[in-house]
Amino acid sequence: MTLSKERIGALFFLALSILYGYFASGIKLYPGDELDPMTAQTLPFVLSGLGIAFSLSLLISGKGAGRSMGVAHLNWKPVIGLMLISLAYGFALDWLGFLISTILFLIAGFRILGEKRVKILLLVAVPFVFIFWFGLTQMLDIYLAPGRIFGGQ
Amino acid sequence: MLDGILTGLQTAIMPTNLMMVVLGCFVGTFIGMLPGLGPVSAIALMIPITYGIDPSSGIILMAGVYYGAIFGGSTSSILINAPGCSGTVVTAFDGYPMAARGQAGKALALAAYSSFTGGTISAIFLLLAAPMLAKVSLSFQSADYFALMVLGLSAVAAFSGKGQILKALIMTVFGLMLSTVGTDRATGVERFTFGSIDLLDGISFLLLAMATFALAEAMMSVLERTDEDAEPQDMTKLGSMKLSAEEVKEVAPTVGRSSVLGFLVGVLPGAGATIAAFLAYGVDRNLARGDSKDEFGNGSLRGLAAPEAANNAASSGSFVPLLTLGIPGSGTTAIMLGALISYGIQPGPRLFVDNPEVFWSVIISMYFGNVVLLILNLPLIPYISRLLIIPKPILVPMILLFSITGVYLVSFNSMDILIMVGICALAIFLRLLTFPMAPLLLGFILGGMMEDNLRRALLINDDSLSFLWQRPITLTIMLITVLILIAPVFQKTIKRIFHIESRGDSLTID
Repeated sequence: MTLSKERIGALFFLALSILYGYFASGIKLYPGDELDPMTAQTLPFVLSGLGIAFSLSLLISGKGAGRSMGVAHLNWKPVIGLMLISLAYGFALDWLGFLISTILFLIAGFRILGEKRVKILLLVAVPFVFIFWFGLTQMLDIYLAPGRIFGGQ
Repeated sequence: MLDGILTGLQTAIMPTNLMMVVLGCFVGTFIGMLPGLGPVSAIALMIPITYGIDPSSGIILMAGVYYGAIFGGSTSSILINAPGCSGTVVTAFDGYPMAARGQAGKALALAAYSSFTGGTISAIFLLLAAPMLAKVSLSFQSADYFALMVLGLSAVAAFSGKGQILKALIMTVFGLMLSTVGTDRATGVERFTFGSIDLLDGISFLLLAMATFALAEAMMSVLERTDEDAEPQDMTKLGSMKLSAEEVKEVAPTVGRSSVLGFLVGVLPGAGATIAAFLAYGVDRNLARGDSKDEFGNGSLRGLAAPEAANNAASSGSFVPLLTLGIPGSGTTAIMLGALISYGIQPGPRLFVDNPEVFWSVIISMYFGNVVLLILNLPLIPYISRLLIIPKPILVPMILLFSITGVYLVSFNSMDILIMVGICALAIFLRLLTFPMAPLLLGFILGGMMEDNLRRALLINDDSLSFLWQRPITLTIMLITVLILIAPVFQKTIKRIFHIESRGDSLTID
């Protein structure tokens, strides 16, 4: 049996609300706090309860099988690629600095989405990043630290 | 009030601010035109730029982006039948058939005139209504604010369309849950930080907005294969942009009606441009008789003018609760509230006392924004729409870059990029399950304030919840909340009255 979109979502939020409630019980309180009508735990407990109630209602009222997610026809490959290069960009910024990592990020992004002409890749990415960098550092006075391999922090 | 208007005028006509309106309208029009990217993403992308400038200029820029995005959305609805944002879905019903029979120029011009009129009428109403409401709301206490926030959050869920209410409620609760991450403001206790220093200050609002909207919408446009770039349009052949006197006479009552309706819907928390546009279209089709009724859906002038006037009027109307109560009624105004708070400005009844220049200049600049859209953007549409020809492989990585650097350049913490990608993956998963994103943002932004107000109300009221039924204002607001939540039960009757048809599964709140 395939699960409907509603039920997959409902199960996900049911699990999330239960987990949230579990971690809410671990919030440390100061001595005497428990006498207050509203502690740091109150709202999280209420939210956890509401989350459980709403997701159970959706689980019960949601349509059964029939409207499955149907994710196979979607264009997953480039999206996963773009996510991976975004993660890599996060790491590269510290090590390679803004200019190099941004040029690499854009070239990789263009390529993943199907632009293969090297001339276009370079002619768009390099001047664009230089203008962007110039705008940030010279016009907006934003300090961009050099990458660690160039002696930055 | 006259003093206020003059202060606002002084601020709004400063060269920097005029430039911001023009820039905002241009950028907004461009981003709004891109199918998939809505006004929330457009504004989110602007926030990092506004951090370095004066708060008034910042909010003026964002307001310009908002109208621009709605205007741009209409353009792509008319030209390529691909609405740039949910508020302009209805525009395509009659706008695209007009373009298809060679009247694209006329359709664009009519959309622009209707938007201008809707925006202008609404700006005048806002000018009159906002200060009055702000004065009334000065007497509001924490209990009333708490109730208003509950109302705002429930309304967003209740108006989110058939079969979406529970999903919207769940997303609101999820947003509220995310807002509890970090140090509790009242007691100083750490919540859900799991020992991470990065989470001590909570999740950044900008990061959440960028990841769930700008980044996720760009990714979704890659994920869902579309044929929108299959057939590049020749944007230079739009046909005449002139309207005849009879045509103006035909649409004038529609525009007037829809503007008033749009403003009123916009003021309601949770409704907004999308619902205003659908409602105005439905009402006008119902009022039409004979041939003009049959024309709806086949390129009717009235069918195009009604949603266009209404969605712009609603955009201005949605500023009323934001500016006077500090409570946003839609995803777009929620993101503006987040930006205002990060400038150190607390919107609400004190805004027009403490920061009159912000309050009034936003209202005045709304009018300027409408003028800019009409006299600058309309003639430039053939050229701006050429930007749509920029191929997706170039455009999408640029949008990703702006979203990522927008967050990074504020915190300079590369850990934020990793968190952003994680949240974006979750947002894509939820979007595929058709969970709406705006309630999440709204819940997240209102969460902290809601908790503070409830805590204060309990403190004032001797730890008792009795204020919920003992204070008349609080009780009234709570009753409205209950009514709004049970209203969907009567939705069928309302639909029968207005003959509203929704295309697709549901409407989404912009």
